[in-house]
Amino acid sequence: MEIGLGHYLTVAAILFVTGVFGIFMNRKNIITILMSVELILLSVNINMVAFSAFLGDLVGQVFALFILTVAAAEAAIGLAILVVFFRNRGSIAVDDVNTMKG
Amino acid sequence: MSALLASYLPIVIFVGVALILGLALLVSPFLLAFKAPDDEKLSAYECGFDAFDDSRMKFDVRFYLVSILFIIFDLEVAFLFPWAASFGTLGWFGFWSMMVFLGVLTVGFVYEWKKGALEWD
Amino acid sequence: MLGLQAFFFYIFAFIAVGGALMVVFARNPVHSVLFLILTFVAAAGLFLLAGAEFLALILIVVYVGAVAILFLFVVMMLDLDLGQMKKGALRYAPFGLIIGLVLLAELIIAATGGAYHPELSQTTALPMQPLYELSNINALGSVLYTRYILFFQLAGLILFVAMVGAIVLTLRHKEGIKRQSISAQNARNPATAIEIRKVESGRGL
Repeated sequence: MEIGLGHYLTVAAILFVTGVFGIFMNRKNIITILMSVELILLSVNINMVAFSAFLGDLVGQVFALFILTVAAAEAAIGLAILVVFFRNRGSIAVDDVNTMKG
Repeated sequence: MSALLASYLPIVIFVGVALILGLALLVSPFLLAFKAPDDEKLSAYECGFDAFDDSRMKFDVRFYLVSILFIIFDLEVAFLFPWAASFGTLGWFGFWSMMVFLGVLTVGFVYEWKKGALEWD
Repeated sequence: MLGLQAFFFYIFAFIAVGGALMVVFARNPVHSVLFLILTFVAAAGLFLLAGAEFLALILIVVYVGAVAILFLFVVMMLDLDLGQMKKGALRYAPFGLIIGLVLLAELIIAATGGAYHPELSQTTALPMQPLYELSNINALGSVLYTRYILFFQLAGLILFVAMVGAIVLTLRHKEGIKRQSISAQNARNPATAIEIRKVESGRGL
């Protein structure tokens, strides 16, 4: 049984949809939302690596490395904002962040 | 490709043995250990007392700052690995490319040093 | 050998998908983070099966070693009320489910439809050399710093901004702490450190 491009893309698609669903499901918990974003970026990376492997093109892996960098920086800054938010508000419920005006 | 994957076979065997051993040690007490529970045995020890609150302690924010700075330098090192591996074929352009990259991050390092982010108190 | 490869692909794929589902559905955020680590390790296995060994190991070093630990720190640092957090969690779930299913259908149709251009494999920007000629890490290193120098320097700037941003956002110095100033200590000499006074007897200073 040959593992083809479609297998990898299906796994990536399921991970992506799980991440999107996690964002909707955990509206109260911004930490889980950030973890869902990490899942989405991971699925993008799987796509990149799969296409790189099956087309014999190295560029996919180069850009997967850059995506990894950006995702880690994003997690660091996102969690820093979360820490400041928790320090000011005493909770991390994001559905009342829309009161944060001006 | 299959030669590459075959070179990872020892790791697979290692993980397999570790899993089997760990699961065996985890499961065997349930099957083998002698159990005769009663109320006194299951209650708190005589000089112990019921927990006051959750055992999860709040961490200090300063741990977070240390780990965030660790991530940044971890990624910097991640970019250094391919550079070091192919250093011989890169030439001067590749060398100075990495030096500029390291220079930018050194500016950030000097900033965090001067700002006192590396001091504990 | 090929059957073994498929076997490991399915193992890693099921672990990754199951871990991702548990990240979303676990009640305790600490468990979510641990399942996130499991998902990353399984994804690293998938990368390895696709031949991207450097990325697989970087995924383990950077994500499992640093990012997941950062998440764990934040979960432990903020004293979270678990009951509060899951209240009303299911209010948005049907909406998310609909959007998720639509997306999944679209992605699977796009991925398995075989709708690629037949000439796609002839348009590679950077053909990969066989592994026995150039290992994965050498192949990456030979283009990352020269051909993709712009993106490489941009990545450096992003890391720089992340570092400065994290310090600006989270660094708070406590007031009233006396710090050691080593240069000031070393710069002291007898003239500035000692003061000699005449003490008159019976009066003190």
